[in-house]
Amino acid sequence: MIQLKDVSYVRLGSPDLESAEMFATSCLGLEIAERGKKTLYLRSDDRAHTLCYSEGDPRQQTVGFEIEDEDDLQTAAATLEALGHQVHAGTVEEAEQRKVKAFIGFRDPTGNHIELVVRPERRGRRYFATRDAGITGFSHIGLNSTDPVRDERFWTQVCNARVSDRIGDIPLMRVNAIHHTIALVRAPAAGIQHINHQVESNDDVLRSYYFLNEKRVPIVFGPGRHPTSGARFLYFKGPDDMIFEYSVGVDEIEDEATHRPRQFGFEPPSLCMWGARPSGMALPDSNA
Amino acid sequence: MSSALASLATSICYVRLAVRDLDAGARFASDTFGLQRVGEQDGEIAFRSDGRFRTVSLVSTETESGSIGVEVWDEAALERAAEQLGGAGFPIRRANKDECERRYVEAAWLAKDASGNSIDLVVRPRQSGRRYFPSRDAGIVQFQGVGLRTIASARDLAFWKILGARVSDWVGDIAYLQIDELHHRVALYPAERSGLLYSAFEVEGLDQIMQNSYFMQERQIKILQGPGRESASQQIFLHLQGPGDSIFSYVNGMAVLGEKPRRPRQFSLSNESLCNWGSVSTDVPEFRAVDGRV
Repeated sequence: MIQLKDVSYVRLGSPDLESAEMFATSCLGLEIAERGKKTLYLRSDDRAHTLCYSEGDPRQQTVGFEIEDEDDLQTAAATLEALGHQVHAGTVEEAEQRKVKAFIGFRDPTGNHIELVVRPERRGRRYFATRDAGITGFSHIGLNSTDPVRDERFWTQVCNARVSDRIGDIPLMRVNAIHHTIALVRAPAAGIQHINHQVESNDDVLRSYYFLNEKRVPIVFGPGRHPTSGARFLYFKGPDDMIFEYSVGVDEIEDEATHRPRQFGFEPPSLCMWGARPSGMALPDSNA
Repeated sequence: MSSALASLATSICYVRLAVRDLDAGARFASDTFGLQRVGEQDGEIAFRSDGRFRTVSLVSTETESGSIGVEVWDEAALERAAEQLGGAGFPIRRANKDECERRYVEAAWLAKDASGNSIDLVVRPRQSGRRYFPSRDAGIVQFQGVGLRTIASARDLAFWKILGARVSDWVGDIAYLQIDELHHRVALYPAERSGLLYSAFEVEGLDQIMQNSYFMQERQIKILQGPGRESASQQIFLHLQGPGDSIFSYVNGMAVLGEKPRRPRQFSLSNESLCNWGSVSTDVPEFRAVDGRV
């Protein structure tokens, strides 16, 4: 079984790095770690980077997960190949671009591009935001799935993800104590549905709501509160229509052995207990 | 002398609100806002929000202009407060039996501050043996306090100081007044006219503030400001358009000030001081930082 430890980074293609940088710094509040000719590395916590834009097609989207060591990486490659996944062994140069020691790349059953990485770099200097959004770190992703039941099997049986809760057939899955690191979303094609950053407090969620409204950033869902994880949230749209989320107060699963996934009905209150309705954003179960 | 007697005023115990359309007002108070309707006498409709027998009454503008109730420590304190307010030149008279009955209190003096706001000093406001049971789950915990418009800030402040209130903080010339451990129960807002600005009801938490916010949006009830958070008191608020020109507010999380003496802080009259989340009121001049109002 492939032991995922944590989500590590997201890599996004974008035709317009200048807009991406503008949004990431003046709206989202990330720190520029490094600016290349065709790349932009961004920090959100003590890691060297958690988001990387490179000039290209915005449909190029990759999620990196950290695993224990290079032995595990070899085992994972063998497991995936045995299941018929094509595995790309990262070159030294590619690993440097990702600021990791080694990595492999493959596609999940839906076709999402996934990388497993070893020893992602941290920075000695703390993250210092460009705007006071209260970000404490990159935390999870929403991942498109053309068949959530099949993909749940992949993430929980081939990998070590556990289902924390379900909304309809949609699993929220954890790879450590945090309620979820991967949230599947039913969609017609592969892709990252949203990128989550945690913030310090409720105040930060609400402040950002007013701040982003003033900046004319489309708010697509919230402010609200998920009854599943307990998190207070705000979803908004960034460059290339990528959706970003701020949230605070995600539950931790305290007892791994006795936790049973709860079943929530597929209805609006399961997504927001305050009464917010999504607009301009696909629901996890909608066949958009 | 105990510290309780140092502040003659012990609670803000009710608001009597004059409205043109009693029925529409009553529907808002119970069905929309979530108060419990408990009775009607002499054309005055009573509502509960907590363990007290009633905290809100709607009266007709044809007969009354409304008032707020300030509970004082005991009968002796009531007499002393009345004497001091009278001595300081504020109009005040003893309430008759009928007026006390309408207010569900044992004794009262009816005063006016310098702006002309009617303020009832009362003792022994009625409690209820049955718990508060609203018709809608708005999460109301208690009637917390009021905001008052003032056209004579200094004199109105003197009125409240006689009752033992202290200024906890200033935002421009807006004075937050403390009478117990809470940062404020009364706030005086300099305005063009006198009258009650808002009645504030504490709810259980942020969840209820936000749920009520979406509830009101869906029903197209006008949100005058919020969800927001006062910088000085840390209180989360949602100000709603109530019946007539009244404002009903849900609040939560106001700072509790300890016993330690502290000096009032001065905040600038800016939108940031009025809401540190960034909400702005477009409709209520008292909630806005407008140039020249300082």
